[in-house]
Amino acid sequence: MNLRNITADKLVALYQNRDLTASEVITSVYDDIERTDKEVHAFLSNCRERALEEARRMDTRIAAGEPLEPLAGVPVAIKDNMTIRDMTTTCGSRILENYVPPYTATAVERLRGAGAIVVGKTNCDEFAMGSSTENSGFFVTRNPHNLDRVPGGSSGGSAASVASGTSLIALGSDTGGSIRTPAAFCGVVGIKPTYGRVSRYGLVAFASSLDQIGPIAKSVRECAQALEVISGFDHFDSTSADTAVPEFVKNLDQPIKGIRIGIPKEYFVAGLDAEVRTKIEAGMRIYEDLGCELHEISLPHTEYAIATYYLIATAEASSNLARYDGVRYGLREAADSSLQEMYRRTRHHGFGQEVKRRILLGTYALSAGYYDAYYLKALKVRTLILRDFQKAFEQVDIILAPTSPTVAFKIGEKTGDPLSMYLSDIFTITQPLAGIPAISVPCGKNSENLPIGLQLMANHFQEGLLLGVAHHFEKAGGFVV
Amino acid sequence: MKISEGDVEYVAKLAMLEVADGEKKELAEQLSRIVEYVEKLNELDVRGIEPTSQVVTSVKHAVRDDRVAPRTGSSDAARTVKLFKVPKVITER
Repeated sequence: MNLRNITADKLVALYQNRDLTASEVITSVYDDIERTDKEVHAFLSNCRERALEEARRMDTRIAAGEPLEPLAGVPVAIKDNMTIRDMTTTCGSRILENYVPPYTATAVERLRGAGAIVVGKTNCDEFAMGSSTENSGFFVTRNPHNLDRVPGGSSGGSAASVASGTSLIALGSDTGGSIRTPAAFCGVVGIKPTYGRVSRYGLVAFASSLDQIGPIAKSVRECAQALEVISGFDHFDSTSADTAVPEFVKNLDQPIKGIRIGIPKEYFVAGLDAEVRTKIEAGMRIYEDLGCELHEISLPHTEYAIATYYLIATAEASSNLARYDGVRYGLREAADSSLQEMYRRTRHHGFGQEVKRRILLGTYALSAGYYDAYYLKALKVRTLILRDFQKAFEQVDIILAPTSPTVAFKIGEKTGDPLSMYLSDIFTITQPLAGIPAISVPCGKNSENLPIGLQLMANHFQEGLLLGVAHHFEKAGGFVV
Repeated sequence: MKISEGDVEYVAKLAMLEVADGEKKELAEQLSRIVEYVEKLNELDVRGIEPTSQVVTSVKHAVRDDRVAPRTGSSDAARTVKLFKVPKVITER
């Protein structure tokens, strides 16, 4: 039994037919973790006893012929920046190494309510700040397709776990591409929902106006199922949207003939790898064959997105991370002279280099004399980026682009040069700034057998259309598990 | 705009971060490169453009009923932990 060859819907059907028990599946998951995770390092912690206990209870219910929830007995992994009561939540940071939260994130609670069994917490860049999972305060996660390559980030552990078959669905979070880039690099599907679609309660804040939780899985159908479960208003998150959640799974096969797909010319420029471009263009032809209309469009402020993002995200981060001062959350360094010295010592020992760099940059952008020139200016350019999308969605229903300009890069390749790491986020930055949903789906591999991701974007709360369009693509292109 | 080692020191102080002397030069260089890059935004004329601090499209602007309901969290922690040791927060000037 290896999870790489099965999807959640098929697994639940096997349970229903009594062909398999949840205990068998969860046991084999931990066997696989033991075998493969020594190399991949997707997990920061696991909860074997609890998962096996939940599996036994599930089996009793299956045996009793009880009706099963949509994700009954499905092994899921959770990025370690989401809280689970009584389980360490580190966010990939030494400053939270011993933090055990007293409450569970709404998204996780809802997954469990739908029958899913959490098998462990996955590695990520510290506080989700990074594009490669190399910034984890604990260890580097490796790409299951090639262990010398990064899995992408910051939800690298979640994508690597799904790709290596140690979970079927994993939750990630996306602030500037952190679900979609790892999904693309690891050859799986990942969706960042509309801002507000999924409650952020229990998601450790990085940049509150951008952060959004979303699922990663091998198929669009599983992502649709998981998203349907975790979406919806939550009174614990004042920014969660009070918008009805459509039946994403039921509507996956809605016809897409005549759908207008925009191809933004700013995404097909120098820096886009030739092999990636070829596969994306092949993807466009699949849509033409499916009867969709392709239109060239323009998103003229794309070239300003990275600058805008790295001012806004770091400014918000510098404020959000002020709470890690040594008074709460575990780590506290001794200091003789003053409280301030204790704060500084603790933060110095607890935070890694990239987190410090971003706090410094964000503090600088917000500091007296620079606020207008940097932070406020970035907020205004954010308006221009949002308007680009509003105009585009008057002409087209969907926007198609690469997820990343390259395939997974080598471990260590960009760690010495933070700016070059930031620039690799070019195609996944604008969507969180505009709050729109976007999905990455596999569209083939390059000559070195490394996966390539195709990205689709839709207007606010159009996840139903987005998932349907992606589902038709994976079927027509033969990218189905 | 070039970030000097002095700027790094000043911003670190604001952010309650400790920066070792050996780190200052590299951080100043890295931050200078990033700040020079983000100054690309100066190419744009943003006069008259409203800032967007959050794209929230469907928020329920309502307060919930003022009812006492059980919550996990601090009360839970208080049950399992006898006392919380906090650092001294009052210091002499």
